[in-house]
Amino acid sequence: MGLNYYQIKKNVLKARKLVIKGTTAAGSGHPGGSFSMAEIMGCLFYKHLKYDTKNPEWEDRDKLILSKGHASPGLFSNMAVSGYFEESKMETLRQFGTILQGHPDLKCPGVEFCGGSLGIGLSYSIGNALAAKLDEKDTRIFTVMGDGETDEGQVWEAAMTAAKYKIDNLTVILDRNFIQQDSYTEKIMPLDEHLESDDLSEMWKDASRWKTGDKWRSFGWNVIEVDGHRIEQISNAITRAKSVKGLPTIIIARTIKGKAVEHMEDNPQWHGKAAKPEFVPIIEEELESQFMISPSIIAGDMTHLENEVKRCVDGRADYIHLDVMDGQFVPNTTFDNEKIKELRPLTVIPFDTHLMINEPVRYVKDYIDAGSDIITVHTEVCDESSFGEIHDLLKSSQVGIGLAINPDTELPTWSEKFIPSLDQLIVMSVIPGKSGQTFIESSHEKIRKLTQTLKDKKFEGYIEADGGVTLDNVGACFTDGARAFVGGNAIIGQNDVRVVIREFRNRILRSRRKLLIKKANELGGTDLVNKWIDLHVVGKKKDELLQISQELGYQ
Amino acid sequence: MSTDDFGDMRTEYGKSLVELGEQDKNVVVLGADTTDSLKTAGFGKKFPERFFNVGIAEANLVSVAAGLAYSGKTSFASTYAIFLPGRCVDQIRNAIAYPSRGDKKGLNVKLVVSHGGLTVGADGGSHQQLEDIAIMRAIPNMRVLIPADSIAVSKLTWTIAQQYGPFYMRMARSKVPIVHNESQDFEIGKGITLRDGSDCTIAACGITVKFALDAAEQLKQEGVSCRVIDCFTVKPIDKEILEKAARETGAIVTCEEHNVLGGFGSAVAEVISETYPVPIKRIGAQDMFGESARDNEIPDLLEKHGITSVNIANMVKEVRSKKQ
Repeated sequence: MGLNYYQIKKNVLKARKLVIKGTTAAGSGHPGGSFSMAEIMGCLFYKHLKYDTKNPEWEDRDKLILSKGHASPGLFSNMAVSGYFEESKMETLRQFGTILQGHPDLKCPGVEFCGGSLGIGLSYSIGNALAAKLDEKDTRIFTVMGDGETDEGQVWEAAMTAAKYKIDNLTVILDRNFIQQDSYTEKIMPLDEHLESDDLSEMWKDASRWKTGDKWRSFGWNVIEVDGHRIEQISNAITRAKSVKGLPTIIIARTIKGKAVEHMEDNPQWHGKAAKPEFVPIIEEELESQFMISPSIIAGDMTHLENEVKRCVDGRADYIHLDVMDGQFVPNTTFDNEKIKELRPLTVIPFDTHLMINEPVRYVKDYIDAGSDIITVHTEVCDESSFGEIHDLLKSSQVGIGLAINPDTELPTWSEKFIPSLDQLIVMSVIPGKSGQTFIESSHEKIRKLTQTLKDKKFEGYIEADGGVTLDNVGACFTDGARAFVGGNAIIGQNDVRVVIREFRNRILRSRRKLLIKKANELGGTDLVNKWIDLHVVGKKKDELLQISQELGYQ
Repeated sequence: MSTDDFGDMRTEYGKSLVELGEQDKNVVVLGADTTDSLKTAGFGKKFPERFFNVGIAEANLVSVAAGLAYSGKTSFASTYAIFLPGRCVDQIRNAIAYPSRGDKKGLNVKLVVSHGGLTVGADGGSHQQLEDIAIMRAIPNMRVLIPADSIAVSKLTWTIAQQYGPFYMRMARSKVPIVHNESQDFEIGKGITLRDGSDCTIAACGITVKFALDAAEQLKQEGVSCRVIDCFTVKPIDKEILEKAARETGAIVTCEEHNVLGGFGSAVAEVISETYPVPIKRIGAQDMFGESARDNEIPDLLEKHGITSVNIANMVKEVRSKKQ
């Protein structure tokens, strides 16, 4: 389909909601493994996979083989979003007579493999890849496997076969979520090193313990390791895999089972269990409350921006905010597209380019070419016609579309028609032009109002709070409705970017938990609040939830 | 038909594959380190790009074959009987027989094995597959063929290549007596009456067809007229020919190189009990494993399990005595 980063993210969200819809309606199914591979599926369905929903048996299509068949809701939900069938069909999951069987089945047009019995999919994929080579077809086979699945000996028979036949038209993605049905993989059948405690973060922290890649390398495979929830990393890996000739490629995607719903995350219980209907509205709210942190590098050392980008990468920023100032729209000048082009090879993290320049319509193409993932222009220097031009250009270039408003500006009427296709709205919470200003308090109210208005106007993007956002007010901005946060001085100005970003996340998370507890209370009073809190059995989440609940007077 | 002629099933299979390969570029052949023995190596020499030896990895063998078939190839996957149904029932069921779309039931994979039954001999009980018919015929969409001689193998290799869907065909290790004429047609689902008779029917498959013919000849001397049916198509089984035999001869003896539990005899009994019940006697391994026997001792091994023309003749007499 070739969608941009933001649209992929939106579709991933839709798919996750459909996983819940389907499994809850069925009263069973596998949400955990569907969620761990959600971004992987998103990158395949909305960017890399070649297919035609109107002609599922199109001869030149790529084939997606879900070897970890139990995660069928994660496959079906994306098939629904991409248009193979109506989204409402998800409610028939596992029902008598449905095409959406408990495990993927050829009964459903578009499904390429009857999964379910683990360990078969890789061999089957090799067969398809060999056939494509015999037929000299320029198509690819994508195979998604589970980590627990690689306990199966057949996987390693297949691994040898793929290397022997130099199967380079096959990309395998391993959903390395560290959990299988009984417990953590490292307890049941270690793939890395034996894990002494239940704390998965041990594994995540210490890359020297990751041995899974070595296993595959020793079997003659090209191995790429990525964070399996970062769309840009997965997507980049898939692109790189395509250019590798003469050997098969496996992308080892480190993921979190149950990702995006806190009580499911890293909890083996959610391997194969459906959420109870009473929790669904809370889960949906949680899924919709994803957020992103975007450090603004101009708050750092302007003479060494390369270094600032590296600090963002090491700090695990979600994206990098690039403030382009022209000395006309704002008094300062920063850098232009040439600088962005120089910075682009340093990272695959999305570039959040914020054009604080006059006549953006004249320059937007340069910033697309420089490698921006989203480009935001100011309403103050656009009108319906020029923004229309920008909008169309960004869209056709698969770049995210952003609009920004200054503190004293409201959304102009002409912008209304563009709202449903906007990926981002930047609400300036300082006067643009220089770094280091204080957050304008009235911005809270402005974001709250906009959140409401935009919702009514079918806005599906992120509201980004930009200017003076700090640890002290980021939680409140989230509560207001902002879902992306630019951090200048408060992030880049600090010594340890990684620590401060983590702290930003914790503050936002706290606000989000508060929001969800309130939601639970609204829906079912203290009883539901407590039941929902009780679901959070892994780590220390429950303690914090109880504390918040007490503060709110629900205990 | 000369009783002295022997033919090698594997050689005929290998020859047919090469001819098939010449005619149809969609035919692919897979092996698991037994390709010389199965005589598929000749195909590999002629069409190296369509020949895949995946090593000693049978689960992988059948699943790769399934993938090729899904992408439009006609896959022949071959190794010894003991390593396919026994070892890979999961892959055969889930990757080959189960996947169905519209009218296409199962994937287009032909599992052709050799070394079926006790006549494997010296390798011993671990290598003597006596359960494959039971396993394979219990799987929906799977068709099971147990040809009696090399003529049948040669013709059936073509037949299964031309018919869509999964097949299992079992060959014997050693050379086997020829029981069919070169002009014989083999139709899936149709048994072949090799000898007519009115007192009893001997229904057999594989190498035991020859024993059945010998027994019938022997019984003829004693004034007993036996019908002999080659039921090479164990699934789908020819219900019509069996029901007719029951009506017309009133008693049936079955014979197979397989456990009598769940095998060919069971299949015949199922048909007869539901159509026209008559006394039946099943000859085959009586729920026992085999054991080593050198080539010259194979008759002894077969005799231990009652798989001889003499025992067939005895059973014909026994089953006739139970006629109503």
